Amino acid sequence: MEKNMNRTRTGSLLQSSWQNPLLKTKHVLFGLEVDKGLLFKLFLYVLLIDTAFIYLNPIFTMVTTMIKNAEDLTNPSVIWIPNEIYLGVLQEAWDMLNYSKGFLISALMSTTVALLQTLSCAVAGYAFARLKIPFKNFWFFCLLLTFIVPPQITILPNIIAANHFGIMQTAIPIILPALFGHGLKGALFVIIYRQFFLTQPKELEEAAKIDGAHIFKVFFKVMFPLARPAMVVVFLFSFVWTWNDYYLPSMYLYNSEVQPLSQGISAISQQLEAEAELSGPSVFQDSIKMATGFLMILPLLILYMFTQRKFVEGVERTGLVE
Amino acid sequence: MLRNKRIRSTTLNKLEGLLFLSPWLIGFFVFMAFPLAFSLYMSFHQIRITPAGLNVQYRGLSYYKTILFEHGSILYNDLIPFLRQAMFMIPIIVIFALLVAIMLNYKFPGRTLFRTIFFLPVIFSTGEVIQTFYDQGEGSLGFLEQYDLNSYLSVVLPPAWSSTISGVLDSFILILWYSGVQILICLAGRQTIPASVYEAARIDGASPWESFWKITLPAMVPFIFLNTIYTVVDLFTFPWNPIMERVTTSDYGLSSALVWIYFGIILLFLLIVFFGFHRFTRAYQLTK
Repeated sequence: MEKNMNRTRTGSLLQSSWQNPLLKTKHVLFGLEVDKGLLFKLFLYVLLIDTAFIYLNPIFTMVTTMIKNAEDLTNPSVIWIPNEIYLGVLQEAWDMLNYSKGFLISALMSTTVALLQTLSCAVAGYAFARLKIPFKNFWFFCLLLTFIVPPQITILPNIIAANHFGIMQTAIPIILPALFGHGLKGALFVIIYRQFFLTQPKELEEAAKIDGAHIFKVFFKVMFPLARPAMVVVFLFSFVWTWNDYYLPSMYLYNSEVQPLSQGISAISQQLEAEAELSGPSVFQDSIKMATGFLMILPLLILYMFTQRKFVEGVERTGLVE
Repeated sequence: MLRNKRIRSTTLNKLEGLLFLSPWLIGFFVFMAFPLAFSLYMSFHQIRITPAGLNVQYRGLSYYKTILFEHGSILYNDLIPFLRQAMFMIPIIVIFALLVAIMLNYKFPGRTLFRTIFFLPVIFSTGEVIQTFYDQGEGSLGFLEQYDLNSYLSVVLPPAWSSTISGVLDSFILILWYSGVQILICLAGRQTIPASVYEAARIDGASPWESFWKITLPAMVPFIFLNTIYTVVDLFTFPWNPIMERVTTSDYGLSSALVWIYFGIILLFLLIVFFGFHRFTRAYQLTK
């Protein structure tokens, strides 16, 4: 029915615009609606490309500074493209970061936390969305509270506790809360899952229940696999945020053998400053900082490149909002 | 008999629910409720860690007094410039996210590419990398420097405000980078408005300009609200902000008192946002 109406409407429009060439050009240029015209599209592209350029400008600078040699760095006529690609800075940053070790630690820690949070937050999110729980509203209030409490409030008692149990200077205090659906931004992930499960039709679970499946089976065989869009979003966010997190490692892993990349980068800038005080600033000081920053986010960039399509789709389907 | 069975089934349901929530509940008590209470307790006590265990001395409200009245520099020196900056940063982030989300919602070739670009900063929004950029002055909008805006501002405005504004302008791009998640929220929100509404408005003779103000914006208000809340929480709990850096293990009692005062300020901010939006939506409904 609707389709038919549409067809007749466009039909009549075409006819009228055929009769009036001026109107037709107007339609092509400005469109029937704001987003249909050619001029608007052009304007949109200009605006988006400009914004994107401003937005990404620091990254371009980072990459180009990193591959300049000493000559290009001091040459004011070289802004973007260096005369030759110099990888010495990158090499030095790689060595200073102790990259392969730091990468391994970061990757292990982030993967563990992300996997644990993907599972444990899903369980809690499902409970909040669908199950009957005594004092549910109160617990939900607690969940929101968890979201707004800064990690700094709980860090000191947690450090005392970690000292007490002798797990300081290990990654355990960072990983353990993730097992229980907490940890870095855990509350946000529970909320994301809750929103996702709320949008799913109830009939699915009811059908499974009538077939005699108990609640665990319903969740792990039906609902959890359904939640793949939410899983992608939570896993990626969790991975990226844990990878980038500087605060918790700086508290728990201080003076420890286990140093993720986010720690190495601050150690390097301190080291560089100390060197600069001793022997004057080096030309490469900024380049090395840029290179370490780049090395730190490079794995994330690669991960994002492979997952961005799923990620964007996932965000749109999780019902992150409402 | 039947009734009995029904009662049992509801208690069974509740047990199932509790069983599912129990990991989270345990986590909540162990990692949130207990540390929260202990931190509050610490803020009233002097704590020393000795090999024999904790050495605790009751101090009453003295830490709070010290921070708020006697040695205000601990709090106010960092807090007030930060709050001033936050007053600019929050609207910038929220409005930018809204505009980008509306642009990214139109259908045009290459949309996925632009979406990918604008979500990218979610990856970078890490203290260390941003700090590096900030030190390099990469955050400033290059074209503003030509106009020598900073010296102009320092003439027109009192020094405290002009330094705030030039600080915001110097890190403008980095502020925009905080808006990754907010763009996602806005985009998802924009998609809840059905296209048929716009079509109907157009048939009734509304111009695109009118339909933005009368349809898009009102429908986006809940999401703008959500974004504001998220931005406030994100900005205030970011480990890089000046007050958070003062929370150290050197003085447990003082740090705890400081962080609780700070938490009070966060709650106050959230309440202001909440009531602001509440009144706004009420006013809007009345005019309708």
